[in-house]
Amino acid sequence: MKKCLLLVSTMLVLAIALGGCATRRDLEEVQAREKAISAKADQAAQDAQDAKAAADEAVLKANEAAARAEEAAKNAEEREKIAAEKERIAEEKLRLAEEKLKLAEEKAELVEAAFKKSMKK
Amino acid sequence: MVFNFSSTNIAAHMTLRRIVDRSPSFNRLHLIVLLIFILSFHGCTGIREVIDNLPLQRYQVEMIEKNDFLIEKDDDVIGRVAIIRIEKDDTLPDIARHFGLGINTISAANPDIDIWVPEAGERILLPMSFILPDTHREGIVINLAAMRLFAFYGNGDPLAVSTYPVGIGTAERPTPTGQMHVTHKKSRPTWYVPASIAEEHRQKGDPLPPEVPPGPLNPLGEHALYLNKPAYLIHGTNKPASIGLRATNGCIRLYPEDVKRLFENSPVESPVNIVYQPYLVGQRDGIVYMEVHKPFDASDTTELKKAYTTLRNIEENSGYTLDWPKVEAVVAEARGFPVPISEGSNPGVNGVLEAIELAHPGNLYGQPEIPELETDAWYVLAAILDDKVDAKRLAAIINHQGPQIPARVVSRGGRHRVLAGPFNTRSAADDAAKRLRIDLEIDGLLIEP
Repeated sequence: MKKCLLLVSTMLVLAIALGGCATRRDLEEVQAREKAISAKADQAAQDAQDAKAAADEAVLKANEAAARAEEAAKNAEEREKIAAEKERIAEEKLRLAEEKLKLAEEKAELVEAAFKKSMKK
Repeated sequence: MVFNFSSTNIAAHMTLRRIVDRSPSFNRLHLIVLLIFILSFHGCTGIREVIDNLPLQRYQVEMIEKNDFLIEKDDDVIGRVAIIRIEKDDTLPDIARHFGLGINTISAANPDIDIWVPEAGERILLPMSFILPDTHREGIVINLAAMRLFAFYGNGDPLAVSTYPVGIGTAERPTPTGQMHVTHKKSRPTWYVPASIAEEHRQKGDPLPPEVPPGPLNPLGEHALYLNKPAYLIHGTNKPASIGLRATNGCIRLYPEDVKRLFENSPVESPVNIVYQPYLVGQRDGIVYMEVHKPFDASDTTELKKAYTTLRNIEENSGYTLDWPKVEAVVAEARGFPVPISEGSNPGVNGVLEAIELAHPGNLYGQPEIPELETDAWYVLAAILDDKVDAKRLAAIINHQGPQIPARVVSRGGRHRVLAGPFNTRSAADDAAKRLRIDLEIDGLLIEP
């Protein structure tokens, strides 16, 4: 009986010792794993943050580009309007010049007709 | 309505006098140099550019014949084309008269030039070259299409011809074609006004007496040759600017100085052949020429077809090769003077290479003189215009009325007044105002001294 108890106790102590040793190792492993995981987590977080920052940056840039494009489109539209207005003014001037020329030609024809009529007996 | 004349601007009109450049005779070396120079322009330049860049020598105007020519046997072309530079106050009618041309001829040769206000410095063509009409060369021949009269003298070789520009009948009262002859001649003729013309004048408020005696108001001028066709005459004029126009009632008009020569040199019974030939073909010195005048009726192609038949016959029978694209160009442009059309002939533009430049004469023969402005005379204000060129044009037309009504432009404050006058009496001013109203439909205002 005593031998059994001694064996059990010894085994228990041994187990506890071994188990304590195992626990310490485990703990170290756990700690190491935690450390690694933490590092990974930190890295991931950092990566995520970086990605977010990059994404934010990209969004910002995209927004800026969009704003610039919009501005450019507005400017182009404005320039088109100005060009169209200039063209309209030029066409109007041309039309007026043609009318003036036509009137001058008609006047010259009338003058010539009057002159030829005056040359008859 | 009358008002006081108070202009302070008096334009002094000075006729520019050109120092005549007594250059040596035109010779072959000059022609070759000229040809080489001009070939560099060939194919790329229009006639205006060629004229403006011609490096020609100047000759006195007396050195180019304008009326009297000898015709070598088998030749059909007389005279030559010349170029002259416009000077201030020139008009094309004045230049035309001086060089024996009609207003039709000079304006057809220079279509881009303003007849009444040409730009000083501009060079113009003087087409003093003609293809003789395709008919018997005897007596007087008149080509209505060219508005040109040819009087042939002698029957020898060479034959002599005198040529003058003419005015002819209107479209409503055309000059008839056909063979006629001179029945009698008269100096200082009386004009017996035909009933139809009397009625016309009456309707426009200008009644005519039944007879108009010799004088400045007589439209027959100082000489008349009567034809066997009743009521048709060859006569002078009191409207020299009408030579080259279709303005008569069927008669043939000549400049006063030309009808005098014709009158003196054409005996009674002289045959008179009146033809209508707008397309003329002839040759001189082995070169075939074509002269085209704008037809009276553009839709009538009879004469054009005849001309093309003639040209084809020339090519087939005489050995000449014609430049047909050039023929088409000459027909289209209708410039009214002979242009070489045979291949290998002078490559110039419409014959301009054969032209010589004439020095501007000191005075143009027959150019209306404008009296100095006088503050104690009557005037008629014909118009106030904003455009100075329009004003100068109107003044030139008034100056060239027959008889002349002196007129000038007085400019002030950016506006240009066309003033007719000076007139010594109100009656003379009234007459001028009446003529302006009837002949030019201008309601002038009398301006008293």
